Amino acid sequence: MMDTLRQALNRLRALFFRRPLDEELDAEMASHLDLAIEENRRRGLSPEEARRQALIRFGGVEQAKERHRDARGIPALEILLQDLRYAIRQLRKNPGFACTAILTLALGIGANTAIFTVINAVMLRPLPYANPQELVTWRGNESQLDVDDIRAQSGSFFSAGGAVNPEVMDYTGGTEPIGVHAGYVDAGLFEVLGVPAMLGRTLLPQEDVKGGPRVVVLGYPFWREYLSGDRNIVGKTIPLSGNSYTVIGVMPERFAVPEYSVDLFVSLRMVYPEAAAYRGVHFMRSYWRLKPGITIARAATGMAAIDARLAASYPSEEKGRHTALVPLQEWVTGEVSSALWVLFGAVCVVLLIACANFAGLLMARTVSRRREMVIRAALGGGRGRLVRQALTECTLLAMLGGAAGLVLAKFGTDLLVAAKPAALAHLNSIAMDISVLISGLAVSILTGLLFGLAPAWSSTRADVAGAMKEEGRTVTSGPAGHAFRRTLVIAELALAMVLLVGAGLLIHSFARLRSVDPGFNPSNVISFFIQLPAARYSEIPKQTSFRRELLARLNSLPGVDAAMVGDPPLNGSEVTHSLAFDGRPPVAEGDQPEVDTFCVMGDYFRVMQIPLHAGRALADADREDQPLVAVINEVMARKYYAGENPIGQRIRWGHEAGPPRWMTIVGVVGDVKQYSLAQPAEPAVFTPFAQSNESWRRWMGVVVRTPGASAGLIPALKAQVWSLDNQIPLNRIQSMDELLQLSLAERRFNMLLLGLFAGLALTLAVVGIYGVMSYSVSERTHEIGIRMAVGAGRSDVLKMVMGQGARLAGLGVAIGILGAIALTRLMTSLLFGITPTDPATFIAVAVLMVAVVLLACFVPARRATKVDPTVALRYE
Amino acid sequence: MGDSKLDLLQGTLDLMVLQTLAAMGSLHGYGIARRIEQVSGDQVLLNQGTIYASLVRLQQRGWISAEWGTSENNRKAKFYSITKAGRKQLTADAAYWQRLSGVMGRVLAMQDGGGKR
Repeated sequence: MMDTLRQALNRLRALFFRRPLDEELDAEMASHLDLAIEENRRRGLSPEEARRQALIRFGGVEQAKERHRDARGIPALEILLQDLRYAIRQLRKNPGFACTAILTLALGIGANTAIFTVINAVMLRPLPYANPQELVTWRGNESQLDVDDIRAQSGSFFSAGGAVNPEVMDYTGGTEPIGVHAGYVDAGLFEVLGVPAMLGRTLLPQEDVKGGPRVVVLGYPFWREYLSGDRNIVGKTIPLSGNSYTVIGVMPERFAVPEYSVDLFVSLRMVYPEAAAYRGVHFMRSYWRLKPGITIARAATGMAAIDARLAASYPSEEKGRHTALVPLQEWVTGEVSSALWVLFGAVCVVLLIACANFAGLLMARTVSRRREMVIRAALGGGRGRLVRQALTECTLLAMLGGAAGLVLAKFGTDLLVAAKPAALAHLNSIAMDISVLISGLAVSILTGLLFGLAPAWSSTRADVAGAMKEEGRTVTSGPAGHAFRRTLVIAELALAMVLLVGAGLLIHSFARLRSVDPGFNPSNVISFFIQLPAARYSEIPKQTSFRRELLARLNSLPGVDAAMVGDPPLNGSEVTHSLAFDGRPPVAEGDQPEVDTFCVMGDYFRVMQIPLHAGRALADADREDQPLVAVINEVMARKYYAGENPIGQRIRWGHEAGPPRWMTIVGVVGDVKQYSLAQPAEPAVFTPFAQSNESWRRWMGVVVRTPGASAGLIPALKAQVWSLDNQIPLNRIQSMDELLQLSLAERRFNMLLLGLFAGLALTLAVVGIYGVMSYSVSERTHEIGIRMAVGAGRSDVLKMVMGQGARLAGLGVAIGILGAIALTRLMTSLLFGITPTDPATFIAVAVLMVAVVLLACFVPARRATKVDPTVALRYE
Repeated sequence: MGDSKLDLLQGTLDLMVLQTLAAMGSLHGYGIARRIEQVSGDQVLLNQGTIYASLVRLQQRGWISAEWGTSENNRKAKFYSITKAGRKQLTADAAYWQRLSGVMGRVLAMQDGGGKR
């Protein structure tokens, strides 16, 4: 044992003291020979003979040294070091080749690692909750009463459940009132997520009741930013929406509610008892924890029974319940995952192309070094040894490429995170971690070995005798090498084609989306949101007079045309109501049609420039004491009044208790893209705020049209609001143009990235085909010379070379089109207005591809025409 | 075995070196090689150079030690001598070889006799 250890240490030591050890060995061997010569001389031999005999007896000096070194050190490692030194020398001798190869791989690996970093952070890393694999949710939202009932009935398969509704509250403890993201929660939320408070505690069930104490749990970012990270905050009070709340706890930094960013948490039952008691308002996202050992299928069976019971007990609110359980992880990442996987597929293709290019470069280089290989083989280099040397060289290249790629990936990730779409906004911890680094390096080493092996192997297949006979003549790569490199290039072109088609489809979709008419004129319109605090504006008359006064003050600003609406377009919120029609047979509650509803004040349609198609717009004269009126949109008129004149017809909300409040339709307006440009307009009903009997509509958007650019107006708007009530914050002040851009941000992000990758792929493929064609031309110089000598014109040569390139391009494009047809349907969800096999896109991309490839071939083709037959015939 | 010389089996050179050093005390590489040749009656096919691989191996295992000194005719040479651990190893290896060669001898003798009669 000790001996082995000592030997291992000595061997290791020998690696580092190679030179002194070698010098000592030289001295020792010299002394050996001297001693031998001396003895031979004593035996009476002549000096020459004595030396000759001594050398014969000694054997080969170099072999003896080599054996000594092998015994002394770690031969494998020494060979590696030796190969590395040799490889570095080779690369330094040919920096152009080295840089191209390294850059090629760096781009491939860099793009790949950057996207993988995001995927790793978004999809592979578990959610920051206790046992996250047990958490489930479902698509539909629930009311607080539903959550309570489900919790009461699901004890056999859920161990906990909780819900949250994102709202806005006004925080007035700072210099200006600000709107903060409040989570109106059920106390079960903290239990189900299983994250304890960092300071203090979370909400207790006894606090989560109607009339409960005003207590608040703070999120970490809010606590740090607005309360300067006060560690003694627990027990102190903060002003929120006109009331004073006692802080009972602060959540840890890594805690976030699954789908929203939330600044603070309050009990829904305490803060919003009217909504908590109302089964029909399905506005809470609920999360549930499977009991240990319970499968999602088992829980689904249990939920089906609960669905049936709820639907039977409350048909008007719960009819048609169908709860489909989804693992929370899948749910949270679902929105972004399809785009990310498409992008990941794209970068994998880029990496493949980069690898093919890398192999092609190595191949070309191998061919030009074949004579060197032949000579080394002739001098006794074993095949294994030569392959090993070649592999060391390409692995070194691959690792350099990988290292450069990781640096690129670092920048790429930062860029990606800076530009991340809103769906990723709640993820703030996207960073490269050790697993990404390791996988990046592993990929590069694998690339080196895999794609270096074929060239290395073929390079050493040199038949020594045959090659030496070619003496002086250019050693060509032979048909096999040609075929290999042509295959590589065709594959590269095909892959690039697939990517280009993908990018083309996204660009085409985006262009279509941009040309969609939103239904209003977004230029020079600012919107912001106001929430009337329940503490001071719980009654409708108070709300109405605030709105009237605010509008009057805003409209008194020069050039300003302002109006109010419950939910301006593209804000991601809307209120729907069920609807009943006067004069038509009554429909059972729960089967009534649902329509979008908007309360407005002021001339909303004029401010937004939504066209009036029939009748009149809502007017200031439609006051609370006047007959109830409504305006509907075009979709609604088409869907529910086909062949009738809707003007003068009466409608009411389907769920109302008490005497029916019939509203008379007075006008029809154009459709507005309420949700996004990509989604069709839904039937919508506009009613005056002043005639509303829904006191919970305290949240409203204010839209302001200005004569020109509107940014300078913001302070004046704030001043007007605060002149009425200095405790009310203006939330999300944005121009409609910005909002429109924002609604396209995710698509633009995907389009830009895929476009970037496709461009990268095209560039790499073009470099590949350029390399092959240049090489082929230089290899065929002799042949071209002969052709020209026997009368071929320059145009014939040009045609010949271009024809060769065109054949490669044609094949690559054809295969690429087939691949694209097979693959682009995976991105259907990312497209708009076109099919995944949109012919226009395919044709445009194919033409672009062929054109670029021909351009790449033109340079070597021109060089071929410049061949001077007399020189070419002498050429080596 | 006629005129051809004995090819050395793996590991046998190490044992010869150890035995030589045990018997002769401190010796330089040339001396060891010469000694082995003489003792074997010049039957061993030994490129003297190969002794150095053996020497470094033994030295790394701590079975022999080396230091530079001056030869009988005033030449600088590296002198090797066996260590305590080396003697122990030699005893073990020698016993093993003797057993092995005894067994080999018997096995071969048996085959010789059985084949003819």
